[in-house]
Amino acid sequence: MMEPSYELFDHTADMGIRVRAASLPELLAPAGEGLYAVIGNVVAGEEAEPVAFDLTGRESAELLRDYLAELLILFERDHRVVTAVDPSVFTEDRLAATVQTGRLDAQRSALLREVKAITYHELDVRLIPGGYEATLIVDI
Amino acid sequence: MPEPYTGPLERIDETRWRIPKSYKEGMRVDGIIYADDILIEAVKQDKSPDQVANVAHLPGIVKHSLAMPDIHWGYGFCIGGVAATDPKQGGVISPGGVGYDINCGVRLLSTNIRLEDAQPRMERLVETLFKTVPCGVGRGGIIKFGKKELRRLMTDGSPYVVNNGYGWDGDIEATEAGGCINDARPDFLSNRALERGFDQCGTLGSGNHFIEVQLIEHIDNPQAAKAMGLTEGNISVMIHSGSRGLGYQVCDDAIKELRNIPRKYGIDLPDKQLVCAPVESPEGQRYLGAMGAAANYAWANRQVLTHLTRQAFAEVFGQPSERLGMSLIYDVAHNIAKMEPYDVGGKQTELCVHRKGATRAFPPGHPELPDRYKSIGQPVLVPGDMGRSSYVLVGRPGAMEHTFGSCCHGAGRRLSRGAAIRAAKGRSIRRELLDRGVIAKARGRTGLDEEQPDAYKDVLQVVDVLHAADISHRVARLRPVGVIKG
Repeated sequence: MMEPSYELFDHTADMGIRVRAASLPELLAPAGEGLYAVIGNVVAGEEAEPVAFDLTGRESAELLRDYLAELLILFERDHRVVTAVDPSVFTEDRLAATVQTGRLDAQRSALLREVKAITYHELDVRLIPGGYEATLIVDI
Repeated sequence: MPEPYTGPLERIDETRWRIPKSYKEGMRVDGIIYADDILIEAVKQDKSPDQVANVAHLPGIVKHSLAMPDIHWGYGFCIGGVAATDPKQGGVISPGGVGYDINCGVRLLSTNIRLEDAQPRMERLVETLFKTVPCGVGRGGIIKFGKKELRRLMTDGSPYVVNNGYGWDGDIEATEAGGCINDARPDFLSNRALERGFDQCGTLGSGNHFIEVQLIEHIDNPQAAKAMGLTEGNISVMIHSGSRGLGYQVCDDAIKELRNIPRKYGIDLPDKQLVCAPVESPEGQRYLGAMGAAANYAWANRQVLTHLTRQAFAEVFGQPSERLGMSLIYDVAHNIAKMEPYDVGGKQTELCVHRKGATRAFPPGHPELPDRYKSIGQPVLVPGDMGRSSYVLVGRPGAMEHTFGSCCHGAGRRLSRGAAIRAAKGRSIRRELLDRGVIAKARGRTGLDEEQPDAYKDVLQVVDVLHAADISHRVARLRPVGVIKG
């Protein structure tokens, strides 16, 4: 069974996130962790608040990008960090999930980079032995 | 590591290389890359030439898909990419040809302060700039704008904030397009874009954005330098920032909205990030209007940053900034699309010129230039890196003939952020900069490592290519002495 994981990789002026998991829904948690790893050491406070997403589209790679774009907005606009993910649907044309969020603890966090956007450049979700692999590049 | 480019590159002359349109099916024009023998080897190390070839697929593209010598891998367009399309020939507008940071750009302020007078106060000056100018991730601005004010600001651009006390009258004339795109449509922005923008006007951001105090170290062109108010031995201030979260969201919204539009108009694209719409279509007009609003926000942002910089100087030098001679020399956009007239086959034609990491470089006599620059050409500001130098150039007639009035925007990255961090391991970049006479302060722990001088190409090599090609000529070399980064 493939453990959900992420790794960051180099892109000339920006950064890439490669995510692996046994199923599409399981990609969500490590993708979010990868995004926060690009931003720095992001620590959430204890106070929790659920946020629900229901995204539609035409392919899973675009939906995963849209999901990370939602997380970026939550972070930048509301200073909220996802602490747990409960995906209910992630298919080729729909992504629905409820996430628990905590308020960013600025004192305990070390923010290194401002992520401008989650791009479509080299965006990919593909089947690999034992699960799925997603590639996303973020603009710094 | 990115894969190297293996396609064709034919030498045209000492400064230009051609990617023939026969390289890929669907290319409508040749690609042309400006580079010398050394830079072209670096260009081949990633897929950016393929991006030049991809842009050549855009409907209505005129003459060539171009790349400046600071080319590197971007999204859709390469960084350093220039493409002009003719709306009357089905020409398109592509948000990927502008980038996420709409109207990211650079401005340069003069001072009458000699380096020897500034040096004893440089540490305090850098500290004061760092304290006065909000910078780094998540830092809101000092000035908050309500929705109504924000819409006015996006309609009027930098004149709005100047008229509200954040600048001098002369600042407007010294800004590309007078700091305002007239057809801006703030009403085309999403609520999300407005929410990202309401508290960020007057913030520097992070990444490669900076404020640098620079010594005017060498003058190449005394006549042009005099017209600009550049005096050897004085210090100047360079500000690099853009449209912040508001602009990023405008681009993100546009790419999402335009996902299905190429299919609607029967446009085949080799890369999703090149999504586009005909300039004259409702979708194209919608993006142009929203982009104009974000561009105006960016000009207002750099104007407020200028105001804060003048405040910091006044505090440290104990004199009003007017007495310190802190005039705006010029402000240029380097991520933008604009409608501009060019000679196409002997006929004046209004083209949509995309500059993605490229700077406008109008020659002497161009009607858009302020009177004081009519005889010398438009000032072009090319930041290098925080350890070596930056350049002031002027636009030349060759730019109108060959590059749609465009030239380079910087040195261009040589190392990825990860590679730069690895190269900085066991070193103190701050200390190394200090040894070079540069006092640097950054908010993020890895900011200086990622932006260290070795991460960039030598900017002199880049500007020399365009000097030789008569696109732009060198006016002055500026050396950093104090830097703040987010």
